Amino acid sequence: MKDDLILEVNNLCKEFGSHQVIRCLSFEIRSGNRVALFAPSGSGKTTLIRILAGLEPPTSGNINLRGPKPVIIFQEPRLFPYLTVEENIWLPFRLHQISPSAEMKREYQQWLEVCELTHCTDQYPYQLSGGMKQKTALIRGLLGRPAFVLMDEPFHSIGPVSKTAIINHIKETNPQMTAIFTTHNLEEIPLLAQSVLFFKANHLSFPANLSVQHFQSLFSESVFHPQAIGSSIAS
Amino acid sequence: MKPSRIFISSLLNEAFGVLLIIAVWEGVSLFYPSYIIPSPAAVVTGISALLTVDFAHHLWITACRIIAGFLIAFGIGTLSGVAAAVMKITKPVNSLMVALQVVPGTILGVVFLLMFGIGSSTPILLVAVLTLPTLAINTINGMAKRNIAQEEYLKTLQCSRWQVARLSYIPALIPVLQSNLSLGMSMAVKVVVLGEFIGSQDGLGYLLNHARIMFNMKEVFFYLLVLMLFTLLFQALQSSVFSTFLRKYYFPE
Repeated sequence: MKDDLILEVNNLCKEFGSHQVIRCLSFEIRSGNRVALFAPSGSGKTTLIRILAGLEPPTSGNINLRGPKPVIIFQEPRLFPYLTVEENIWLPFRLHQISPSAEMKREYQQWLEVCELTHCTDQYPYQLSGGMKQKTALIRGLLGRPAFVLMDEPFHSIGPVSKTAIINHIKETNPQMTAIFTTHNLEEIPLLAQSVLFFKANHLSFPANLSVQHFQSLFSESVFHPQAIGSSIAS
Repeated sequence: MKPSRIFISSLLNEAFGVLLIIAVWEGVSLFYPSYIIPSPAAVVTGISALLTVDFAHHLWITACRIIAGFLIAFGIGTLSGVAAAVMKITKPVNSLMVALQVVPGTILGVVFLLMFGIGSSTPILLVAVLTLPTLAINTINGMAKRNIAQEEYLKTLQCSRWQVARLSYIPALIPVLQSNLSLGMSMAVKVVVLGEFIGSQDGLGYLLNHARIMFNMKEVFFYLLVLMLFTLLFQALQSSVFSTFLRKYYFPE
């Protein structure tokens, strides 16, 4: 089963000065897996995504990326304020001189409808709400059906109805997509993830790799207390 | 909006400041005899006598000196500010520019006069050297406001350096360029007069100095008015160019 490995992380450590954020973290991601990274706030989820994206060097350990280079969707939309919604969405294609096919244009229109952005393609980011900006960033990242996506709290400013519609659209149009996404919103996990990397402490180390069902059952038993789930896994 | 309408609108906006100064000047002139502060009306009525071919020649020379000195300052000041930001050496460059700003213009003017003699070199160099630090500091401050998060996003797309420059550096630079043009030109107009006072026998600064020595205050105020109108025209022009072609780079934070 080593063949379908897309990402291998071995003994990854990250320190900022004397503060150790990630301790000897090891895990594997297989092709087509959608993995939720569930950990308390400030535990290093964003740092891990940044390291996997190549934006931050690890202090030690290694990352073996076997698949394609991942697309990153950040916690903040990072849109270009002087470009319209449409120009922002097509920017990655324009930068790589890819002229969109008819199929891709159709996919773009579908995304606009799912995200309810059809009427604002010629608006600038400052004319949009926080949720609309995040949806634009999501379309920009997901258009073209990328094989591997890293998402850092991708739905944090999007309402529940839109969030469900977007997730369903991802699953319909790109079911083979490998994804790692961070969240501290429990509702998102069963919607998108197939498994959960759960970290119990305030730094990332020794994750428990759980199925979504197992994670949910633990969660309902522990009366919504992550620390309690942690001890349940340890026992 | 048509470019011509944008230009007229910019001109009217810029004219407000000049009209305000003229109104204050009119008010102050009521309390002083005309040989100290002549009224704007008195200056305007005497204009026809001053508008000669000789005046046009002096005006042309001054305009050329302003533009030459300003272009040197604008080019070097903006480039050094950008280079400092790119090479992450903003602190030493900033302190060098602050040190340069402290040098008094009159001393520098005399030094240039001794070095290059009477002519265009002194006013041009004075404009360049005295305007440059302000523009470099302004550029450094502007570049510090560029969006690092966007640059990081571009990095994840494996963009080339040129693409990062085009999408992040240049858009951050556009408002800076406009303030550099606006700030730099006003300074250049002021400094060229000093340069022509010290080291020249032609130009509006020379005429101003001559009129001042002769206590011909109507002429002095006329030349000041001309310099003010020159600046106004430039500001209206640059403002309408930016509003017409680069409007999208001005967005609310």
